[in-house]
Amino acid sequence: MSGKGKGKRLLVHLVLITFTGLTLLPVALVVRKAITPGQEFELTLNPIPSSVTLDHFRTVVGTSLPDGTWLFGRQLLNSLLAALGTTVLGVFLACTAAYAFSRFRFPGRRFGLLTFLVVQMFPATLLMIPLYVILSRLGLLSSILGLMLVYSTTAIPFCVWMLKGYFDTIPRELEEAALIDGASRLRIFYTIILPLARPAIAVTALFCFMTAWNEYILAATFLGRETAYTLPVLIKSYVGEYGSTQWGSFAAGAIIVSIPVVALFYALQKNLVAGLTAGGVKG
Amino acid sequence: MSAPPERSRRGRALGTASGALLAGAIIGLTAAALYLRTRNAGDQLQAEAPARAMALALARSGAQRSAHDTADPDLLQRRVLALAGRDTVTLATVVQEPRSTKYRFLRKRRYLAHSDVQRLRQSLDRRHPGDKQLYDLANRVRQHGPVVELRAPQDGPVTVVAAEPVRVDGKQVATAIVVTAPRPLHVPVNAWPIGAGVLALGLLGLMAGRLRQRYIVVMASLAGLTALCWYQLSTLAAFYHRVLPIPSYALRSALQGGSPAPLTIPAWPLVIALPLALGLATLGHVGLGQRMVQALRRHRAAYLYVLPAAVGMLLLVFLPFGYGLGLGFFNHAHGTYTFVGLSNFIEILSGGGRPLSHPLNFYFTLGVTVLWTGTNVLLHVAIGLALALVLKDPLLRFKGIYRVLLILPWAVPNYITALIWKGMFHHQYGAVNHVLELCGIENISWFSSFSTAFAANLVTNTWLGFPFMMVVCLGALQSIPRDVYEAADVDGASRWQSFLHITLPLLRPALFPAIILGTIWTFNMFNIIYLVSAGAPGGSTDILITEAYRWAFERADRYGLAAAYALIILVILLLYTLLTNRLTRATEDTYS
Repeated sequence: MSGKGKGKRLLVHLVLITFTGLTLLPVALVVRKAITPGQEFELTLNPIPSSVTLDHFRTVVGTSLPDGTWLFGRQLLNSLLAALGTTVLGVFLACTAAYAFSRFRFPGRRFGLLTFLVVQMFPATLLMIPLYVILSRLGLLSSILGLMLVYSTTAIPFCVWMLKGYFDTIPRELEEAALIDGASRLRIFYTIILPLARPAIAVTALFCFMTAWNEYILAATFLGRETAYTLPVLIKSYVGEYGSTQWGSFAAGAIIVSIPVVALFYALQKNLVAGLTAGGVKG
Repeated sequence: MSAPPERSRRGRALGTASGALLAGAIIGLTAAALYLRTRNAGDQLQAEAPARAMALALARSGAQRSAHDTADPDLLQRRVLALAGRDTVTLATVVQEPRSTKYRFLRKRRYLAHSDVQRLRQSLDRRHPGDKQLYDLANRVRQHGPVVELRAPQDGPVTVVAAEPVRVDGKQVATAIVVTAPRPLHVPVNAWPIGAGVLALGLLGLMAGRLRQRYIVVMASLAGLTALCWYQLSTLAAFYHRVLPIPSYALRSALQGGSPAPLTIPAWPLVIALPLALGLATLGHVGLGQRMVQALRRHRAAYLYVLPAAVGMLLLVFLPFGYGLGLGFFNHAHGTYTFVGLSNFIEILSGGGRPLSHPLNFYFTLGVTVLWTGTNVLLHVAIGLALALVLKDPLLRFKGIYRVLLILPWAVPNYITALIWKGMFHHQYGAVNHVLELCGIENISWFSSFSTAFAANLVTNTWLGFPFMMVVCLGALQSIPRDVYEAADVDGASRWQSFLHITLPLLRPALFPAIILGTIWTFNMFNIIYLVSAGAPGGSTDILITEAYRWAFERADRYGLAAAYALIILVILLLYTLLTNRLTRATEDTYS
C-alpha cells in the first residue's frame, strides 16, 4: 500500500473510533453513574468517575419490604423462574413441531409455518387485553406461571422457526439409513436428530431465556404485587416522573440485569442473525 | 379407498352428524356464556373505593397501627369527620392496582375524601400544579409516614401509608395512600364476544380457503342458529342453571343425607371445549372433515409431532386472539360490556370526530407510525451498511474489536436503553443538552414539542437498531466473492458503479428479510415510545401500539376500542407481509 492508502486508512480509523466512542458513551455514562455517589447524573461527558462507591449496588441488591422480606431476592427469583419456565415450555413444545415441519410433507404444513411466522411477528402486546382477562379468570394474574404462559406465546413460534432452520441442515441421508436399518421415526428423532441438534437447542433455549428476561411491559401490566415483580419492573421503578429519578440505583440495577444477557448475547450473536433472517426468507 | 357412492353416503352422514353437533354446540356455548354472566353479576367493586379512602383518613388520625374491618362508606365518613375536626382538611388517596412501585398512583385512579371533595377533585387535574404538590406530599408520605394495616373484607391485606398533616394552599392536609392488592379485571364472559369471535374467525378461515357455495349455506345456517339461540337465551340459561345440577344434587343428598351445598358448575371447560367443537363441526359440515380424517390417517406421525406446539398455540394464542377479536365489537364502561357492532372500528377509522391534526386521530397516529418506521429503518440500513462497507476491508486492523464494540447497543435490553436515553435527554442534567451546550446551543426541552420528542425517540431507536443491520450486511458482504470486483475493476468500472451494480444486487437476498423484520420490529417498538417520550407532548409521538395500550390501560379502560386498534394493527402488518412476500419472491426470481 502506498502512503496515500495509509493516510486514508488512518482517516477510516479516526472515523470509526469517533463513531464507536459515541456508541459506547451512553453505556459508559451509566457505568460511571453506577459507581459514583449521588443519585443525579453529573454534567460531564468524562466516563472516568471522580470517586468510586458500591453503595448503589448495595441499595439495589438490598431492597427489602418494611417487614423484612428480601424484595430483590424475590424479584430475581421471579425473573429467573419466568425466563426458565418460558424456555422449557417453548423448547419442549417446539422441538417435535420443528422436526415435523422440517422433515414431513403434510397438508397444512405451509399454513402451519405461516401461522407460526405471523404469530411471531404479532407482538404479545396486542394480545394483552384478552390475556389479562383470561389470566385474571384463571387466578394467574400476579403469578409467575401466568407470565410464563404469556411469554410462551412468542417463544413457541420463535423456537419452531429457529429449530426448523437447524433441522433443515441435518442431512436426510442419516435418517434414511436408520429407516432402512428398521428404526422407527420416534427412535430416529430421539437417538439421531436430538443429539445432533443439541447445540442448536441450547442456542434456541438461551435466546428464549434472554427474551423473557428482558421483557418489561407485560410484566409491568400484569404483575400487581411488589413481591411478584420481575427485575425489569423494579429497575423501571427507579426512573420516576416529575424528574425525581434515582439514577444511581437505576444504573446499578441496569448493570446487574444486563451483564448476564449481554454476556449470553456475545456468546451467541452469530447464531441469532442466521436464525432470525432464515425465518424471514422462507416465509 | 372406498367406492364413490359409499363415500358420499358416509360424507352425508358425517355432515348431518356434525350439523347436529354444531347446533348443540352453539346452544351450549350461549348457555354457558349466559351462566357465566349471571354468576359474575354479583360482583361489585367500584363502591368500596371511597370507603377505603375514608378508612385511611381515619387511620391517619393518630393511629400508628390499626385495623379497620368495615368498608361501609357512611360509617367511615362519620368517623372521619368526627376525628378530623373543623379546621383540618382531610384528604385521602386510594390507589388501586398499582402497576409500578412508585408514582403511578397519581396517574391511575384516585379517590379523595375531603371536606370539599368536588373542589379538590377539580383542582387535582393532571396538568394542574396542584398535582405536583400532591405528588411531593405523597412522596414524603411514602418515605416517612407510619404504616397502617387496613384489612378490607374479601381483598386480603392492604398496605396503608399515612402522613403527618402538611400545609397545602394554606390549609392543613393529611394524606394517606392505600395500596391495595390488584383486583382481577372485571370482565364478565359474555356470549357475544365469544359468538362474534368464533363467527369472525370462521369467516376469516373461509376467506382464506376457496369460497364455495356450500360455505355460504353453512355460514347462513350458523348465523340463523346463533340468532335463534339468542332469542331463546333466557330459557336456555335457566335450564343450564337450574335443571342440570338437580340430578347431581339429588344424588348427593341421597348419598350423604341432609342437604348438601348447592352445586356450582365450573364453566371454563365449556368455554374452551365448545368453540373447539364448533370449529370441528363446521369443518365436518362442509365435507372437509372426511378429507381431514384421511389426511390425519396418512400423515399421522407428522401431526403427532406438531400436536404439542399446536395445542400450546391454540390455548395461548388463538383463544386470546378469538376473545380479543370478539372484544373489538364491544364497548366497556365500568365493568360492563355492551355490544356496539362495528362502532369501535368506525370510531377509529373515522378519526373519532377529531381533526386530522389531533394526536388521538387514528390517521395522525398512523402517519406518525409510518414516519417513525420509515425513518428508523432507513437510518438503520444506511448506518449499518456504511459501517459494514468500512469494516469489510480485509486489510483493516482491529476490525474484530470495532465489530464487538459496535454491537453492544443490540445486546443491552431495550427497556434499559430507553431509560438511559430518557435520562440523556433530560433538559437539565442530560448528556445530550450538555453536548449541545458545549457547542454553544441553548438547552432544549426535548419532550415539549413534537419534532424534538420524535427526534429523541428516533435517536434512541437508531442507537439500538443499527448493529443488527450492520451484522447482516457484514455477513452478506463477506459472502460476495472478491473476483467479481476484480473483474469489474478490469472492465474499468468505478467504485460507485461496482457498488451500485454488484454490491447492492448481491446484498439484496440477505438485506430484504432483515428489512422486513426490522420494519415489523420498529412498527411495534413499544418500549422506546412508551419509556422515552411517553407520547409527549400530548400523545402526539405515540405510535399505534402505544395508542392501543393507552386506550386500554390509561384512558377510561376502553378495552373494546383497544382490541379494535390491535386488530387494525394486525391487518396492516399482514398486508405489509403479503406485499413484501410477493416482492421478495419477485426479486428471488430475478436473481436466482
